[in-house]
Amino acid sequence: MAKAMMAYPELRHPFAEKPIHAEGSTTVLYQGRSITLARTGAGAGLLIQPDDLPGINGFTLKPEGACYEDLCVPIGANLLVDQQGEQWFDLTGFADLLGQPYVADSEQRVWSFAEIPAKRDGMMLDAMAPDFKVTDREAQVVSMADLKGKKALIVTWSSW
Amino acid sequence: MPVWQRIYEEINDPGFVILCAAQDTGGEAAAGPIFDAANATFIQVVDPDHIISSAFNFVNVPSAAWVDEQGKIVRIDEGTYSKLHELGEGDTKISFGTDVYSVALKDWVAKGSDSAYVQSAKTVTGNIRQHSSDQLKADAAFRLGNLFRTHGYADKAEHYWDLARSLNPDSVNFIRQNLTLSEEGSAGETFRDLMGDYVKSGKDYYRPLDIQSPLQPKDEDR
Repeated sequence: MAKAMMAYPELRHPFAEKPIHAEGSTTVLYQGRSITLARTGAGAGLLIQPDDLPGINGFTLKPEGACYEDLCVPIGANLLVDQQGEQWFDLTGFADLLGQPYVADSEQRVWSFAEIPAKRDGMMLDAMAPDFKVTDREAQVVSMADLKGKKALIVTWSSW
Repeated sequence: MPVWQRIYEEINDPGFVILCAAQDTGGEAAAGPIFDAANATFIQVVDPDHIISSAFNFVNVPSAAWVDEQGKIVRIDEGTYSKLHELGEGDTKISFGTDVYSVALKDWVAKGSDSAYVQSAKTVTGNIRQHSSDQLKADAAFRLGNLFRTHGYADKAEHYWDLARSLNPDSVNFIRQNLTLSEEGSAGETFRDLMGDYVKSGKDYYRPLDIQSPLQPKDEDR
């Protein structure tokens, strides 16, 4: 029988099983990036070391709150969690505060975060193109900012 | 793809770029040969996590945004065909796409904000699909499925892909990318049934092209 059009069943699951991260680590997915955290706090949510926050979503902790570019979100004391003298930042609590959805696989310790709605206000309100970073076929990272100063047609397609 | 390359060469303007993102879970193995066969010289991205579709709230391919020099979107979310395609003959002949889009694109590149095809921010924001919290969550589930796929956890990959589809049933991207990795492919009976249901429910899987033929721009808000 001839192969069906646009059918690549051999590409569905071609990979052998391999660990996602070292035992005891946690992986966070955000905006197409995969961030491995060596240490997280105990509990049902995801508690991270405050220094890990910028590398995950670009926010930094300041006296006025958690800030990203011009956006500062006041955070309550409940997002800073003390466990045995060590301070953790409640990343899932912060996501809830921002209305940022996430999906977790607790068995494999992977948390996948959707986009933060407030980061999309520029597009939804003023038609400003959203920030994104992708890697081209020459392994160069291309961001929306890199295209500024030119007219750009940003087009999706697929082999299917 | 070869037609986009031809259009890119015809425009041949250093102030214009095309970023073409393949929404292929199959990755380079599926999309790369098509880029190569077209001798593409524009920015080529293999985007298995659908970063671009997610950023612009696209639900199908081909979809596009025109972004001006200041980073402002001036058209968005239309069935972005480089030309009218015709397949088959006689009773089985099917056609899709349009010849008018590339003409409008060339006009914009030549005239910038004076092009009649530039839309106002009000029109553009009105044309951006609104995504619910569940639809945003679908993107997170989809990427989780992709991570498990690339690490050999097939059952988990399927679980999170299914979750993504149930959270965002509007996404033709999620439906078809999954089917393309099946024996029947992405244009088989399952696809036709799904799309029949989709269209019957009154959804547009492409926003109707807002460019008339013969070419007449249509944007009352400009």
